[in-house]
Amino acid sequence: MSPRGLRPRLLVAFVLVTVLGAAAVAWSGAGSASTALVTSAQQRLTETVAAQIAAVAPELASPPDQSALERLRAAVGRNTLVVYQDLRSADGSVSALVTDALRSAVRDQKRLMAQRITAEGTPWLLLGTPVMTTALDGARTPSGIEVYAARDLTAVEQEIDDMTGSAILTAALALPLAVVLALLAARSVLRPVRDLRDTARRLAAGDLDARSQPQGADELADLTVTINEMARSVQTSMAAMRRMQADARRFAADVSHELRTPLSTLTAVVEVLAMTADGMEPDARESAELAITETRRLVRLVEDLMEVSRFDAGTAQSRMEEVDVTRAVHDCLRARDWLGVAGLVAPGAVSARLDRRRLDVIVANLVGNALRHGAPPVRVDVSASGEQVRVAVTDNGPGLPEHVLPHVFDRFYKADAARSRTPGSGLGLAIALENARLHGGTLTAENIDGGGARFVLLLPRDAEVR
Amino acid sequence: MKRIWPVVALLVAGCGVQPSGVDDGGEAPTGVAPGVTLYFVDARGELQPQLRETGRLGTVSEALNLLLLGPGGSNLRTEIAPVSTPRVVVTTAPDVIRLLVPLAADEVTPRGIGQIVCTTLGVHVQSGGARDMKVQIRFTQTTPESDVERTCPLIR
Amino acid sequence: MSREIRRFVAFVSQASAVTGHPGRVVSILDGVAAILLIEDDPLVRRGLELALSRHGHEVRTADTGEEGLRGFRSSTPDLVVLDLMLPGVDGFEVCRRIRAQGEVPVIMLTARGDDFDVVGGLAAGADDYVVKPVRPTVLDARIRAVLRRSTSVADGVRVLGDLRIDTAALTVEVRGAPVALTPSELRLLLTLSGAPGRVFSRQQLLQEVWEHDYLGDSRLVDNCVQRLRAKIEASPGTPAHVQTVRGFGYRFGPV
Repeated sequence: MSPRGLRPRLLVAFVLVTVLGAAAVAWSGAGSASTALVTSAQQRLTETVAAQIAAVAPELASPPDQSALERLRAAVGRNTLVVYQDLRSADGSVSALVTDALRSAVRDQKRLMAQRITAEGTPWLLLGTPVMTTALDGARTPSGIEVYAARDLTAVEQEIDDMTGSAILTAALALPLAVVLALLAARSVLRPVRDLRDTARRLAAGDLDARSQPQGADELADLTVTINEMARSVQTSMAAMRRMQADARRFAADVSHELRTPLSTLTAVVEVLAMTADGMEPDARESAELAITETRRLVRLVEDLMEVSRFDAGTAQSRMEEVDVTRAVHDCLRARDWLGVAGLVAPGAVSARLDRRRLDVIVANLVGNALRHGAPPVRVDVSASGEQVRVAVTDNGPGLPEHVLPHVFDRFYKADAARSRTPGSGLGLAIALENARLHGGTLTAENIDGGGARFVLLLPRDAEVR
Repeated sequence: MKRIWPVVALLVAGCGVQPSGVDDGGEAPTGVAPGVTLYFVDARGELQPQLRETGRLGTVSEALNLLLLGPGGSNLRTEIAPVSTPRVVVTTAPDVIRLLVPLAADEVTPRGIGQIVCTTLGVHVQSGGARDMKVQIRFTQTTPESDVERTCPLIR
Repeated sequence: MSREIRRFVAFVSQASAVTGHPGRVVSILDGVAAILLIEDDPLVRRGLELALSRHGHEVRTADTGEEGLRGFRSSTPDLVVLDLMLPGVDGFEVCRRIRAQGEVPVIMLTARGDDFDVVGGLAAGADDYVVKPVRPTVLDARIRAVLRRSTSVADGVRVLGDLRIDTAALTVEVRGAPVALTPSELRLLLTLSGAPGRVFSRQQLLQEVWEHDYLGDSRLVDNCVQRLRAKIEASPGTPAHVQTVRGFGYRFGPV
């Protein structure tokens, strides 16, 4: 039942307060007015009856007989009961209305008593009084005559009802006014709130220039200022972080670039060493072979670093052409002498538009990874479905540990400290993932039932360069 | 929102004529008496009340008519000269009762005037009237006595 | 072949280069060639010189573009290995000037992924490119592949429309006028015209003409086709002989 939004809540609260306020005023007004009405009516009726009795009392026989009682009753009017010892004269329904409380009060107090009752929906004023005998010295004694009169208060009640009705109507008329005022108030409160929300959304979406204009000097303005300060501080931190990140990337790129020149020399001369290794002493030959192996590893690492740098810098370019994926995968395996350890399962030619060199990089990294960390035979499944090409590389090893799965594409992530000297650069899977993304595709890792890890590459058949 | 309905119910219930307990409505009316008290003069020359058992109190006018007719067979006397038509016109104002008597000022002694005033006030009081009521007696001739507002020494 | 014999052969080829028929000598001696290496970094230059010499080539070196051009004019090498990043006259300009003086093939040394270098170098007339750091074995294979393009395939004369191709003498005439083609252009023309109407994919051409592996850069083909068209087509914009088959590759016409 309770409304969720700020606007309906404000609206309800405002209207509630207004209606309650109006109702309270109307109620207390109507209450005091009705009390005044009843009191004055009661007083008027009491005085009338007292005056009527007083007017006729001196004319009454004492002790009174039946005719005296009749005379008194007639003088007081309708709905009157007059009693004297065993004698009584009654008119209307007064006998049924008079309460015992009133009778005993009249006898005890020896004064005129009044009581309001409601009988069958009709409000009555009951009056009861003894008629007194006053001595010359002022002493009053009851004459034994008692008069009871009932007076219908329906007219008074009608008057009060009319008044209450008009009070309710007035309160009801205040209602639309309250709604309008509430809407205006809500709007003035909600506009800055909405501004703040929009600003927060823009900030969340990454637009760190987003600010709200604080208006006035209320709490919302304070909040706006605070949020602006927060945004400014976030923006400053982000800028610093981006600068540092860019510096780090540029540094990596520069380092790789600088390494390339000495590596060119090394690559050239270690081959001369290799060609002459046959005539060397055994320890010299092993040293030469180590130098060759490590130089190639270094070259591979630097090339991978530069490739990653290009992805980071967003300068990686792709050359899209029609490629038979099956053939490309086959060529990739053949070129690396992997056809003996990796089986290719494909339905035939699968054509797609993509960068063949990058596809080769992905497949080579996946199969190379499977051969290094998993166990042969490695299976490469190529299939096509509608708009996508799927290449799955499955090994026969123990699979990836659960804690490794989320990090398998991280740069330089080593699953096992003991295996830190694997021949890979540590960037292969990261580069494979970047290449997949460059095609607008995905690359995921999973464990299959019965052990073994599976990497699944999904590429759109008609990749647009991202 | 549900909380508002008891409030509304309370508001509606607060209207209309509510039954009440027994309240005091003021002095009970009075005026019933076995007879009327007239004032005459005794042997010592002082005013004395005499109860005339008429069976009812009656009005000031009736009491004064009886007074003008004299004490009847008793040891009291009146100091008001007898009149042929014992009719008194009584006018009651909020704080004074004005009497128009069929007498000249010299037909009544000061004690006779006291008789008229005390009888008038006695009926007035017994009818429930105030005890500090003044009485003004107008005589047939113009005289300053007519303007005097009088009280009864026996009824204070 | 012993080192001494190679040196002798290199000497002969250098000597014959002066006569203006270097290609013929190279073809006979199986790719041992006089190479001009233009590279500014002294250690890289020395390393490559050592390695290429190991592979039997006669290597001359130059450390700047100007020096390279002087060496080119004085020695007339069979092939130029050219670093694109040179102080002074840069590699592109050197390549253009070499191309302006004749059909001596040029292999560029580039930085990997630097597409700007590749595109610029190919536009300047380079026949092939390798990415640094390059393994001398790979560079040697490329050198030999380029030089092999200058060897004849079969004796005969092909007359195709306004073209006349002497496959033994390796000369080409367009409407009776001789046209000088670089070894790559010549081999491309010979390959395409050997099977008129047959569609060659770029990868096929890369393997046939450039002897590249399956990952060859198809821009080599496109660039070479463009230059060939400029030389033999009556209107290169609407080629009659080297026709593009969209999505597949090229074929020779008229069929």
